Amino acid sequence: MKEDLVFNLDHGYAEGLCRGFRSGILKSTDYHNLVQCETLEDLRLHLQSTDYGNFLSNESNPLTVNVIDDRLREKIVQEFQHLRNISYEPLSTFLDYITYAYMIDNIVLLITGTLHQRAIGDLLPRCHPLGSFEQLGAITVADTPAQLYTAVLVDTPLAPYFIDCISEHDLDELNVEIIRSTLYKAYLEDFYNFCKSLGGVTAEVMCEILAFEADRRAFMITINSFDTGLTQDDRAKLYPTCGHLHPDGLQELRRTDNYEGVRDVASRYPQYKVLFDGSGTNTGDKTIEDRFFEHEVKLNMNAFLRQFHFGIFYAYLKLKEQENRNIIWIAECISQKHRARIDNYIPIF
Amino acid sequence: MSTSSIFRSEQMTLCQLFLQPDAAYSSIAELGELSIVQFRDLNPNVNSFQRKFVNELRRCEEMERKIRFLESEIKKEEIPIVDTNENPDAPKPRELVDLEAMIDKLDYDLKQINTNSDALRKNFNELTELKFNLAMTQGFFQQVDPNGNGMFNDMTEEITDETQRMTSGGMKLGFVSGVISRERMNSFERMLWRVCRGNVFLKSAEIPQLIEDPTTGEKAHKIVFVVFFQGEQLKTRIQKICEGFRANIYPCPENGNERRELTMGLMTRLEDLNVVINQTEDHRQRILIETSRLIRLWKIKLIKIKSIYFTMNMFNNDIARKCFIAECWIPTSYLEQVQLALRKGSEISGNVQVSTILHQITTNEKPPTYHKLNKFTQGFQNLVDAYGVASYREINPMSFVLITFPFLFAVMFGDAGHGLIVTLFALWMVLKEDYLKDKGKNQEVWRIFFGGRYIILLMGIFSIYTGLIYNDVFSKSMNLFGSSWKVKFDDNILLKDGAVTLEPNPRPYSAAEHYVQMYSGNPYPIGLDPVWQISENKITFTNSAKMKFAIIIGIMQMSFGVFLSLGNHLYFKHYYAIFLEFIPQIIFLLSIFGYLIILIFYKWTTYLAEQATDAPSLLIHLINMMLMSYPTDDSKTPKSIVVFYNHQRIIQTILLIVAVICIPWLLIGKPIYIIVQRKKKTNSTELVHQESEASNDIEMHEQNEPHQEVDMSEVWVEQGIHTIEYFLGCISHTASYLRLWALSLAHAQLSEVLWTMVLRIGLSMGGIGLGGVALFMVFTTWSTLTVFILLLMEGLSAFLHALRLHWVEFQSKFYKGEGYPFVPFSFQSILEEAAAEN
Repeated sequence: MKEDLVFNLDHGYAEGLCRGFRSGILKSTDYHNLVQCETLEDLRLHLQSTDYGNFLSNESNPLTVNVIDDRLREKIVQEFQHLRNISYEPLSTFLDYITYAYMIDNIVLLITGTLHQRAIGDLLPRCHPLGSFEQLGAITVADTPAQLYTAVLVDTPLAPYFIDCISEHDLDELNVEIIRSTLYKAYLEDFYNFCKSLGGVTAEVMCEILAFEADRRAFMITINSFDTGLTQDDRAKLYPTCGHLHPDGLQELRRTDNYEGVRDVASRYPQYKVLFDGSGTNTGDKTIEDRFFEHEVKLNMNAFLRQFHFGIFYAYLKLKEQENRNIIWIAECISQKHRARIDNYIPIF
Repeated sequence: MSTSSIFRSEQMTLCQLFLQPDAAYSSIAELGELSIVQFRDLNPNVNSFQRKFVNELRRCEEMERKIRFLESEIKKEEIPIVDTNENPDAPKPRELVDLEAMIDKLDYDLKQINTNSDALRKNFNELTELKFNLAMTQGFFQQVDPNGNGMFNDMTEEITDETQRMTSGGMKLGFVSGVISRERMNSFERMLWRVCRGNVFLKSAEIPQLIEDPTTGEKAHKIVFVVFFQGEQLKTRIQKICEGFRANIYPCPENGNERRELTMGLMTRLEDLNVVINQTEDHRQRILIETSRLIRLWKIKLIKIKSIYFTMNMFNNDIARKCFIAECWIPTSYLEQVQLALRKGSEISGNVQVSTILHQITTNEKPPTYHKLNKFTQGFQNLVDAYGVASYREINPMSFVLITFPFLFAVMFGDAGHGLIVTLFALWMVLKEDYLKDKGKNQEVWRIFFGGRYIILLMGIFSIYTGLIYNDVFSKSMNLFGSSWKVKFDDNILLKDGAVTLEPNPRPYSAAEHYVQMYSGNPYPIGLDPVWQISENKITFTNSAKMKFAIIIGIMQMSFGVFLSLGNHLYFKHYYAIFLEFIPQIIFLLSIFGYLIILIFYKWTTYLAEQATDAPSLLIHLINMMLMSYPTDDSKTPKSIVVFYNHQRIIQTILLIVAVICIPWLLIGKPIYIIVQRKKKTNSTELVHQESEASNDIEMHEQNEPHQEVDMSEVWVEQGIHTIEYFLGCISHTASYLRLWALSLAHAQLSEVLWTMVLRIGLSMGGIGLGGVALFMVFTTWSTLTVFILLLMEGLSAFLHALRLHWVEFQSKFYKGEGYPFVPFSFQSILEEAAAEN
């Protein structure tokens, strides 16, 4: 109660702004209209009537999906950075935490890129601007994880997460994935604890979302690790331990070695049972990833039902990203004239 | 029946236009200039990109994009855009192609120039960086040399150009030099040190001026650095780090002479480049200046074209008859003008054989509300519309509000001094109208004041009037005509403590030998006698008077409102409503509150000063009338509460009974009427059915209002609410008008307090020097407070109360406000909107 009383002193404006941004998220009628578009020009015309306004109107013809993608990302980054700039502690730390995930992705992107002999100049523009940091460009200097740590990451907020990876020897493709998962595990747990320490509604909302995120990672790591040579123990090390699956479910996930096993584990948790039951591998069925996305959207939407907490900032960013994925999906379907699956977007409101 | 009057909105006609495809464009352009036709969207279910003229719209948008680009380039060069206030006609469709080509060419040219100049500039910037790089590394080498610090111990006599060839522990020393932006320097240095484990030597110096970055073209602080290292492996690493930190590496010859030569060459190249860049700039400038002359016209033309095609997208395309069908609302009195414009449109397009056909259609749809307004009435109409746009053809209260609004405001704001300031301010706005129109468009508060300048003017003038009636000028009274009272007591009485009372009539005073006439016998010519200013019971007196004024004004305004509802009933031919609504309403209002007014006037005119204590207390009498309890007339009961005229008891009882009868009358009258009507209708429905089958030849695009039968219980509930609202409203609204008195009292008291607490202090200080200075300072405070508290704050509050009295107490008696505004297709308003967006 006490936090609620003074919440608006520091964060009221930011929250109001965020809720304002939220109401710009496309509604199902907007999607309905978008799906009917026949060219990207139509798409642009339609987006003009939504909250996106004129964000594409200064692009010359012909419009490409890449341009749309860039503009969408630019817009969301701009909004997020505006929120970050006007935020006070502890909201600013919270928002910084959100960006760490993008940093991890960027690092992994650059390392894999260099593994495939791509020039750093081509790779840098593809990095997510939210996860950009000063030393990012020089990441190619490092040949081993240890070097990566001492030369590049030691000054970044990711340094504490990286300590577990130093022992890896080479930067080959499997190791990069392991590094990504280890970093993510450490990051998620840290973020989880941070939110918990904030307490109040923020803790309630964010822990729920992050616990789901952790469980999703555990499931996906397990499913993707079949037939890769990753041992069960190695795998277990990558599971984030802040989810609902911890500890029993994770133990069992460690032991499974096929999809059915994963499904069995999930069936013991009602919230995941529903997701696995509704998915399938046949064409026309929804994949389990889509189901996870849908569930995530639901959790994020629920975050807006409560007030005086930071969860909405996280939820807004995630929802907006989902919306961007939707628009890009629709745009791709339109530009490739592949309309059969155009309805496979995930509606938000 | 007159079609045009200020009391009701314009009569509207729904028309169908059959436009020839060739003539459609120019006809719509004419109508856009005329600004009197509101088109209806005949394809509401068609997506915007599936409409007929979507390609034309896209072309326009593409052109707009290019124009925006040109405009931003012009703004970047800070060239003023010429505004000639010219209003070009919408170009013909075939001119569109020329316009498009012209804009395309400019756009292409400019882009070409830009890419060239960008390339040149990049080159130039790179060379500049190189220049600084060379100049400053020179310094490092020379500096390192004589001092011979650490690493370079053994080469003190060597000249600079051999630095990089010298050996230290048998290894070759190499170096990399470049330029990096200042904010990256810190972490760059740290990373270098970490990656190379301290085995490098870095020298750096800041470039003393801002230079442009070759990639982004922005001005930035930059630093020149040289890294000395050993071995090839380190070199690749350092290069990678430089790349990662976006440092530009520049070659730096090892030999001093070579460096000097390079510098010389560089200088000449820089000069050449400068010449070329200047020429390109000049060329660019010329193009932009030319464009800046035309760009405003192009923008207007484009907006016009766009809005025409947008309008035409709302039309129905009749393929069989080869024409467009449009539906639109036109004020009936403008039909002639529209016809003329359409004819002119088809003449312009050169198609005279088949002219546009305007066909009036009847509909049961509600037409939009359109009031003819001018700049004076507009402000008052806005006040009314803020409550709700009038239903079609119902009485528009604007013309009454025009007078009553400033008047009620002034009753609350009654001070001639304050009123004068308000009037002068408004007068300034009105007289300087043309000059002020374009000023401060972004200042929202200013726009509110300016938009309401005529309202403020009237408010000010009326305030002067009420101020004279109250005899209040900055809380002081003016003795303009000489008071009707003379104080003629002798000193004995006046020097005694305590108040003296001025009596209008002769009366023997103990100390006075004979009575002197103190009252002249004629009242003060206008308003309150100034003698009240010095009396102790001024407030008691003004309160009593102002309260009664408030009630009189209120009841007059409310009954006027009820009579206006009679006007609506007559106009819409709701004759039943006259008997079932208007008559019970007016009887109720007059039998209780009208009676009260009569009593007020009776009391004012009959009771003289000596009978003051016997005068009836009207409040008690009204309560007694309601309770039907009349105190017995004996010596114990005060005179003021016993009946004061013959048959008072019986008259009041009759009035009360009549008023009470009105309640069930209003409550059940209308529902019973509806029941009877329905009974009649069910008998005649079969006949109607036969008729409707015969009349459906033309397909019409209107949402035929489904003739739904409202449930009878709903009618009862609605009428019940309506009844309660009205009768309770009469009582509460009457009480509500007392705010006229309350606010006027508050205003008078506030200004008096301000005078006595602030200005009087200054006035009562002695001495010309001290007193003058003090008065000067105190006047500042007093005048500031007067303006901000009494004029702005009190003015705002009186404004809002006056607004409330009109919206709630007055308009609720007759005004529905369920209409929707008429929004004609108008180039002018579209252009204004576009201008406001920028």
